[in-house]
Amino acid sequence: MCTTSIFKYLPGWTGVATWRWVANDDNCGICRMAFDGCCPDCKLPGDDCPLVWGQCSHCFHIHCIMKWLNSQQVQHLCPMCRQEWKFKE
Amino acid sequence: MEATLNVLSTGDLGISTSTDGVWDKVCLAYPLLTSNELPEECPDDDNVLKEINELKLNTFVEDIVICRIEQIMRQKITPEFWGRFSGRKTEIDGFERFKGAVDYLYSSLASFLSTVEKLEKLRFISRFNRVIYGEDTLLGAFKVIMTSTLLSQLPLTHQVITEDFYKVSFKVFCNTDKSEADQDESTEDVVQCGGCSHEIEHCRCQTILSVFHETNRKLIELDLLERLAGEVITSLIHIRIENHVQESCKGSFDTSYISSLESWLSTVVLGWLTHVYSGNAASTQSSIKKFHQKISHFLYETYTRTRIEQLFNIIIEYPDSQPAVEDLRICLQKTDLRLYLTQKLQRALETRLLHPGVNTPDVLTAYVAAIRALRQLDPTGVLLETVTQPVRQYLRWRDDTVRCVVSSLTEEGPSELADELVRGEALQLDEGTPLDEDMANWETWNPDPVDADPSKTSKSRRTSDIISMLVNVYGSKELFVNEYRTLLADRLLSQFSYNTEKEIRYLELLKLRFGESQLHYCEVMLKDVYDSKRINAHLHSDPNFNLDRQQFPSMAMILSAQFWPPFKEETLELPSFVKEHLQIYTKAFETLKGNRTLSWKPHLGSVNIDIELKDRKINLTVSPTHATIIWHFQTKNQWTVEELSQLMHVPATVLRRKIAFWQSQGMLREVSTDSFLLVEESATRSRCPVAPDMVCEDEETESAMASAHDQREEELQVFWSYIVGMLTNLDLMPLDRIHQMLKMFASQGPTAVECSLQELRHFLDRKVREHKLLFSGGFYRLPKS
Repeated sequence: MCTTSIFKYLPGWTGVATWRWVANDDNCGICRMAFDGCCPDCKLPGDDCPLVWGQCSHCFHIHCIMKWLNSQQVQHLCPMCRQEWKFKE
Repeated sequence: MEATLNVLSTGDLGISTSTDGVWDKVCLAYPLLTSNELPEECPDDDNVLKEINELKLNTFVEDIVICRIEQIMRQKITPEFWGRFSGRKTEIDGFERFKGAVDYLYSSLASFLSTVEKLEKLRFISRFNRVIYGEDTLLGAFKVIMTSTLLSQLPLTHQVITEDFYKVSFKVFCNTDKSEADQDESTEDVVQCGGCSHEIEHCRCQTILSVFHETNRKLIELDLLERLAGEVITSLIHIRIENHVQESCKGSFDTSYISSLESWLSTVVLGWLTHVYSGNAASTQSSIKKFHQKISHFLYETYTRTRIEQLFNIIIEYPDSQPAVEDLRICLQKTDLRLYLTQKLQRALETRLLHPGVNTPDVLTAYVAAIRALRQLDPTGVLLETVTQPVRQYLRWRDDTVRCVVSSLTEEGPSELADELVRGEALQLDEGTPLDEDMANWETWNPDPVDADPSKTSKSRRTSDIISMLVNVYGSKELFVNEYRTLLADRLLSQFSYNTEKEIRYLELLKLRFGESQLHYCEVMLKDVYDSKRINAHLHSDPNFNLDRQQFPSMAMILSAQFWPPFKEETLELPSFVKEHLQIYTKAFETLKGNRTLSWKPHLGSVNIDIELKDRKINLTVSPTHATIIWHFQTKNQWTVEELSQLMHVPATVLRRKIAFWQSQGMLREVSTDSFLLVEESATRSRCPVAPDMVCEDEETESAMASAHDQREEELQVFWSYIVGMLTNLDLMPLDRIHQMLKMFASQGPTAVECSLQELRHFLDRKVREHKLLFSGGFYRLPKS
């Protein structure tokens, strides 16, 4: 009975979305800034200031954890759980 | 007289001659002592004088003669003279009366001259001299007597006739002057002479002029010109100047008038004055010079006042009215009207600009024009600062000021502010090295005007440009930048063009002015748009993601939520097939960017749809909500708002507004209240036309962003937890105590939120209305739960 075919051909649907990191926390444990934002040294979020996960499943801004690891002379530990820090493959 | 002679006879002079004989001789020498008529010529007989001298009666005789002169003046001449001043009928009549009065005075005073000469001769014979009424000579004393007697009986209305006299002659003078200037102009139709208002054949201008000269000469001779007519002449000239200034610069601001006014003054007015004083050259020159100074000052003052009256209009027309502003600047230096200007302009601004009937953009345009014009008027900027103070204060409480400024800054097409923004760069570079220059030019340094605010440096006033003045209305850059961010977000999300070149250009310009750090967020926003375009292209070109084999192409604008202003929270249940598409897109994104995912904002976006009905095809770009509504009409061609609302998770009020759009397109028709039917054939549409008064909502006015008010609400919510904590511990608290506590605890740290006492009161009062607080006797407390 209905002869309308509105979406027979749909030239384009542009949606709006916000991206976010799939992480177990909102903020970086080191700089306390949002994961979806960027670390204090960066200007641009996302690709330019990515997150890294350790094998202990904690994650940080890559710049933050690198700074932390570089400051540790003896052993590289996760700042959250004090286990040995190893990057998750 | 009898008594005086008795004193004389019993005095110690010891005179053998009989007193009567002496008195007769004295009367013979000075006939006015006995006659009641005006004095005639005194007989030329020096013997009597010698006799008087020998009798040492010279001072006595002088005294009584002067006494008699005073008496005649007082009782006869002066009343007669002033008598001619009353009962004037017309201007010409007044002219004649004045002339007659002066003629009478002149001739009657002339008849005293021989008596005065005779007294002078008596002084010469007796080698005696003394000062009477501060005058050495008797003639001087005589003039003093005359003027003082005249002025002591001054009638109230004497100026009317004097005015008539000078008005008539001035008119005649101006007319002859004019007719000399433009004789070629056709005068055939003119029956009346412009000067004397008689018919041309009987023109009396020449007579009037000669009478005028004659009368003035007499007045000068009597030293009466300035006393009698000075005031009238001055006021006459003032009126002429006022009229002339009003006439010549009424409403036109694009020419400078100073020089033409000055030349008018020196030719016409001074020319006439020269005629008035046309007597002896030396004194004329100095009096005219004195007069010139007075009236040229008056001219400047009048002109300045006229311009100040017009200043508001001058400012509105500013770049065109530059000559007028320049005139005013020169005049202000010569007159003392600065304060008058400030008050007058402030009042004009308040009555004409600062009321609710004026749109904010118009207020801003006027403010910008005022900044420019007053800069030219007073380069130190003090005038600008004081005059525009109320404007700034007013703009501060207009809600849409920031939005207006920001949008006109980034507006397409000719906009003064946009031009100013582009020019801004050069301006700032110029100000780079002011300090050294100041030291080098110390000789040209000038102190600030007296009305300057001493707490501000003169440099800050001189250097701030228009945009910073506008920004300073609020005192903070943040507010401006925030507003710009919201505006930018709206624009980006309404266009979906991925074309950001223009926005980037503006952003760069704004960065020069507001600094990199302030606009960092906006930079990320623009980068998001740019990146979205790349990601879309990438996902669509990669066959692994299956995106191009879908039913329709789906794209996305992927935003960094942290850097965008808060979005309005709205819900929308999209059609299932669209949701599937977006799901596929999300999958593709997750594969591309490891560990990241997307959260969709279903109500935002833009949908390009083709609609095929029985007899027509329509292509439209609409919002997702609109698309979803019409999609539902595919399955069923009649819906009620209630049903749709449940299906789409959209409030009925919002839904009704959106449906109005389709109604305006002629796609939907309201068959009964809140029930809509799809119009499949346009024929049916023409039969029941769209209601003309239906309001079609303007899509662009709706912002996707949360309003500033909503944002502020959210910030205030932070305080609520503090307040609840406080009241749990302290039970009862007055408003100002709560405010202070909040200041101490809540306003510390990096995200300090300022909250004024007033705002807090509103906030708490609302909580009271919501029954979350109790208020009694000035104290707030929590309700017992």
